[in-house]
Amino acid sequence: MELFSHTWLPFIYLYGFGGILFFLGIIITVKAGSFDLNRITHKKWMWVLLFGFVWYLMMHALMTWAALGIISVYTVPIVLLGMAAVFIAVTLMLKRILKA
Amino acid sequence: MQTFHNIGTSTDWIVMVVYFMVIMLFGSYFGRYTKNTSDFFFGGRRFSWWLITMSIVATGVGSHSFVKYSAKGFEHGISSSMTYLNDWFFIPFFMFGWLPIIVYSKVRSIPEYFEKRFSPSARFLATILLLLYMIGYIGIGFLTLGKAVIPMLPEAFTIFGITLPVTLMGAIIVIAIITGIYITFGGQTAVIFTDLLQGFILLFAGMLLFFFGITYLGGFDIFWNLLPMEWKLPLADFNQPSNFNFVGIFWQDAIAGSIGFLFMNQGLIMRFMACKNVNEGRKAAAVNILFILPISAIVVGNAGWVGKAISVASPHIVSPTVSPDQIFVVVANIIASPGMFGFIMAALTAALMSTVDTLINATAAIFINDVYRPVRLFLKRMTVSDIERDRKELRAARYASIGVTAFGVLAVLAFKNFPTVYEAHGYFHSTLTPPLVVGIFLGVFWKRFTPAAVITTFVGGVALMILGARYPGILIAPFDHGIEMNQAHPYSYIRALYNTLACSVAAVLVTITTRLQVKIISIIRKGQNKKIIMNAIIGLSIVLFFVVLLNISNIYIQCLSTAYILILVPLAVTYFVKYDETINTNGLTAGSINIARRLFKGDEPNDLVGEKVIVHFKQVEGDENVVHFSNEEMTTMKAKTGDLVYLSDKRKWMGGLKSIHSVFGSPHNQTGTVYITPSQFKHGLFVEGKLLDAEKEM
Repeated sequence: MELFSHTWLPFIYLYGFGGILFFLGIIITVKAGSFDLNRITHKKWMWVLLFGFVWYLMMHALMTWAALGIISVYTVPIVLLGMAAVFIAVTLMLKRILKA
Repeated sequence: MQTFHNIGTSTDWIVMVVYFMVIMLFGSYFGRYTKNTSDFFFGGRRFSWWLITMSIVATGVGSHSFVKYSAKGFEHGISSSMTYLNDWFFIPFFMFGWLPIIVYSKVRSIPEYFEKRFSPSARFLATILLLLYMIGYIGIGFLTLGKAVIPMLPEAFTIFGITLPVTLMGAIIVIAIITGIYITFGGQTAVIFTDLLQGFILLFAGMLLFFFGITYLGGFDIFWNLLPMEWKLPLADFNQPSNFNFVGIFWQDAIAGSIGFLFMNQGLIMRFMACKNVNEGRKAAAVNILFILPISAIVVGNAGWVGKAISVASPHIVSPTVSPDQIFVVVANIIASPGMFGFIMAALTAALMSTVDTLINATAAIFINDVYRPVRLFLKRMTVSDIERDRKELRAARYASIGVTAFGVLAVLAFKNFPTVYEAHGYFHSTLTPPLVVGIFLGVFWKRFTPAAVITTFVGGVALMILGARYPGILIAPFDHGIEMNQAHPYSYIRALYNTLACSVAAVLVTITTRLQVKIISIIRKGQNKKIIMNAIIGLSIVLFFVVLLNISNIYIQCLSTAYILILVPLAVTYFVKYDETINTNGLTAGSINIARRLFKGDEPNDLVGEKVIVHFKQVEGDENVVHFSNEEMTTMKAKTGDLVYLSDKRKWMGGLKSIHSVFGSPHNQTGTVYITPSQFKHGLFVEGKLLDAEKEM
């Protein structure tokens, strides 16, 4: 239980409260019209926003697993670099598709 | 607790002096591009995202980070820099709410937004709160700088037989003088370019230190295995100990701190305002938070982690009792060779100066925009000539920078008694950010939020916060999530939750009772004694605020006074402030961004996606407000006469330093050439014979 308060409880709290705020931010700005998904450049930003959320969630989860010895610490940078590569590839692809 | 002096060699000092001279020369070179107050404060709104991203690194990372995160890294491990990884939650609000509003509404400072959105009285109160916040931030910066250099200095200097002890405040005053001189003559362009260089150097120096640390310990596996399991976890324990717990830091940093940093740090806002357009600002924010901040988290905390590993393996080399705020310097000295240690220390102190410079520049901007100009306007001393006015403002801005530096040094006194810089900064954030954070946030995202509500947030919210600070065991304890109350510094972090809630409750209650306030005021207006009644309400509100502020009487009377403040202040504001929701929110809320864009352009925005073009330029006399492209290029850019255009030197690495914003004039037939006036040529700092990039903005 003590370990839980140092590992997954803060993780759940962070992404629970943080997640509510994050998705509320998207909903409010879309409803307000300032985040206009009909505009090409804004569509690309939706991908960036969602990726960012998953990126940080994965970062914290991987680091917690590494600290607990469940995965090797070297797995953390490998997975994150893989995610960054996917992000760059998809962003560039979206740029081309949206331009066309 | 073990403290140090005289760390480092003469080689290190030589390296540090050379580094500072190079940085100052670099900044001075770009300082020559400062021609008016717009350049001095905003860098002329022309820079590319990558330049702003790197310059934000030096502002964010430099800000007391090395010292405070290394300290917590030594005490608690990798979770020390968890605050670097929690800024993403508010990014939708920032990218699609606040950022476009500040750019399109052309506000020059945050208090100016409050005047446009609410009233001049809201601006006045916001100016006071923001100046307190900024000066406090400068104070924290100076405190960190002092703590960083003290271990390198001897305990005393002897000059002409007189022994002068080296004290923290003495070191800070000398640092403040050097910092003040630099910012006074540089301006924002100089700061941006100096920060660009320092951003790269900082990341390099921090990673170099980590590499040296790992090498010193014998490899990454040894380092990792030496750390106790708790030190490897990325997040702190949920609610203990009281000086470093997850939930307190979440509310203090991820909520109040992130909104504070993104929404009300005038220094950061000015960086985004220096971007060439809103989309570049979004890119700068996204790249910085997604990729640079995780690297920065390693850069700023690793000295503490390495220090902990050394203290486990060799406690005689790094004692577990080393003063946490000195661990960065101690570890750097152990693992880096002479000269290299000087370089790392120079990078650290120069970056800290960079942060302080940015804040001083930003605070001076607030002073000019929200104090100097309104006062001159009130005294009817506005000079006729724009050039003359700008010259005077630039001079006033430089004097303001000196004044702000002096107040920043005085602010150190409020923070120097905290055990570590981390706690001082946490307490500062928790205490000073909530009223403005709530005011900005609800102002942008809630159209119904009224001047009465924002002013009550500033007055009544602050009264509630004072009560919380005075009676933490009663008022903050219900929100403490099980955190033990430290009697010396009660609830340094979790007080952010109480303070934010207190301000939010005041704001929401007043907003939803707007009709009732209007009804009461309309009854008062019909009476014959309306002026007497309203003056009595204002007088009573002031007296009640001082009852709370000066701790007069007991808790019950003070709580009752606060309740009356929450009732009386909205009535006074409703009576005196003229406010039309439709007019005052136009272009100033997230729901009216399209109106803001239209107002910014002066016409309907053209969102057709065109292509960039590369052109030669030709100087011709004509209208200073427009540039003329050929029909063919206008078609490629999908632009029409009256649209906004951004012209920059084709050399991408210049990052927009040589550029202008203008408007498409009537087209001509000379394909491949844009006609600009000699004045535009001069303002854009263009070079004869060099090609220009052109893109339609909207």
